[in-house]
Amino acid sequence: MNIQDNYLKNKKNIFFSENKDIQTHRNKLINIFENDRFDKKNNESLKNINLKNFIDFKYKYLIPEETSVIKNNHENSYSIVSVNGQCSSFKDDKIEITKILDEDYNDFSKNDTIENNDHFVNLNSLFLNCGFKIVIKKNNNIKIKISNIITDDDLTIFQKNNYICEEGSSLNLIEEYENKNNSTSNILNVIKLERNSQLNHFLIQDNSPNHNLIITSHSSCKKDSTFTQKVYNFSEGYVRNFHYSELIEANSEADLQGIFFLKDNNTSNNKTFVKHLAEDCKSNQVYKGILNDRSKATYFSNTHVDQVAQKTEGYQLSKGILLSDNASYFSKPELKIYADDVKCSHGSTIGPIDENAIFYLRSRGMSKIAATKILISSFINEELNSIDNEQMSEMIQNKLVRYLSKVK
Amino acid sequence: MFLEIKDLSVKIENKNILKSLNLNINKGEVHAIMGPNGSGKSTLANVLAGKEDYEILNGKINFKDNDLFDLNIEERAQEGMFLAFQYPVEIPGVNITPFLHSAINSKRKRMNEEEIDNLSFAKLLKSKASDLGINIDMLKRSVNTGFSGGEKKRYEILQMSILNPDLAILDETDSGLDIDALKIVTDGVNKLKTKDNSFLIITHYQKLLDYIKPDYVHVMVNGSIVKSGGSEIAAEIEKDGFQKFQ
Repeated sequence: MNIQDNYLKNKKNIFFSENKDIQTHRNKLINIFENDRFDKKNNESLKNINLKNFIDFKYKYLIPEETSVIKNNHENSYSIVSVNGQCSSFKDDKIEITKILDEDYNDFSKNDTIENNDHFVNLNSLFLNCGFKIVIKKNNNIKIKISNIITDDDLTIFQKNNYICEEGSSLNLIEEYENKNNSTSNILNVIKLERNSQLNHFLIQDNSPNHNLIITSHSSCKKDSTFTQKVYNFSEGYVRNFHYSELIEANSEADLQGIFFLKDNNTSNNKTFVKHLAEDCKSNQVYKGILNDRSKATYFSNTHVDQVAQKTEGYQLSKGILLSDNASYFSKPELKIYADDVKCSHGSTIGPIDENAIFYLRSRGMSKIAATKILISSFINEELNSIDNEQMSEMIQNKLVRYLSKVK
Repeated sequence: MFLEIKDLSVKIENKNILKSLNLNINKGEVHAIMGPNGSGKSTLANVLAGKEDYEILNGKINFKDNDLFDLNIEERAQEGMFLAFQYPVEIPGVNITPFLHSAINSKRKRMNEEEIDNLSFAKLLKSKASDLGINIDMLKRSVNTGFSGGEKKRYEILQMSILNPDLAILDETDSGLDIDALKIVTDGVNKLKTKDNSFLIITHYQKLLDYIKPDYVHVMVNGSIVKSGGSEIAAEIEKDGFQKFQ
């Protein structure tokens, strides 16, 4: 079934299909799908995947029976269970959680940082069927943990979430994706940081082989705000992490990091893109991958420095370890600099595990497998040590041990 | 015989490096191998330690009644062989203390000895480090990472003193060391020397042998040992160079 027919058939279940502006936008998106020749060479969103499987899909969505938000008063923390992309409404003096609204859709559809040929984002906008908005109120410092649950097989989740950190607020957000069923989640997070706010966003991804997870995020940072994102991808199913950041006012920062652990025939596509649109801003983009068996990954990193963005600091780094001759990792760093007073760098190192280091460790009595495991752990040691949440650190360590147990 | 190398020929990437090399080392002996650059000294050290880049064309090596070629790299280490590297490898993210703790326990396990616990190991490490003038803070760092040349060599000797090998191969341990560091390192080696262990010292210069007295000195040229004798050979090399042996 083509996109248009699929959309028309399921229109009644799709959010905001009665809104004229949104309908106009969606018609444009349908045109893009119909006229695009899906040129894999020039479209980063198409690398390593068969888009046909994602375009020619059977739409299925179930409204969940139960969702929950639990507040823990002692620690200013909240536990949210998001089921099929939906979340209960909640309000207190620190946060407000609501369903996503038409205006949130419109607000995002006007943003041009995400290219209009990113078909996954376009599918998300077309078939939107769930999502929520969380506002952290002014000057509050809170923690939120979201468990993302999918209830049934063959669901197609198209979810849009908005996070707004009001002035002076701080949010520590941990999101877990651990789904065992045969479904597809296509999630777009739109994140706004007002002045002097801070958001640390951790994403732990550990889905089973038949679950596809496509996450795109777009963050915008106002003056003196800091956005940090750390992605830990242990999934055995396909994962796409595309994360965009705009530094729109002075002295703001974006730090986008990710680690992925791939094996078997799994694939992961990753992208980070930081736009420096104001002076004195900093960005950091670091992705590391460990690939075994016949797994494949891509990582595109991009720093764009506008001509007004003087005194920019922008750094990119990509590293990969290939544990098998059949694994592949394609990395493409890009810098576009239009200002003249900047410090920017990029680097990319991908290769097999260092044989000299293996020899050194074995010559002290360690077995080859123990030496390999210790070198893999050391490769991501800095990232693991930087996790200051004990519970999360333990969870990541356990997942790493599980991954390493399969390394031969 | 403790270590017996018989008619050993080795090549790497179509280049013959060791050619019918013979060498015997008994328990409690200190042997020195001297030779010009490219004579195959480090290749010999690497082949003994088990590095897999080399192709063994001919010959046999027996170590403590084992056919050495039947043992892989870690088994050789666990049997009591230790190579102090000429260029110790930097391994960021691997902390020295747990790494050495794991190394000593892998050896003890093979020897059917009880594993050493955290506290006893910490005490042992602290005392050995202090003997070698190694700052305790250095033990919190990653293996060889950010170390100066002298620190790396001292750290190799620290590992040796912890693992207490039966046969220690020192591959140009003196290179890159100033006179004070050389003294600390050689003192460390001399302290380890007993009638039950042996040393194979590879060096270009006599200087190292002023501090560690060898029982035998061998001259290696073009992949073979061309002359063997006592300390007088080292003095001869110091005076006239390697030219006359080539």
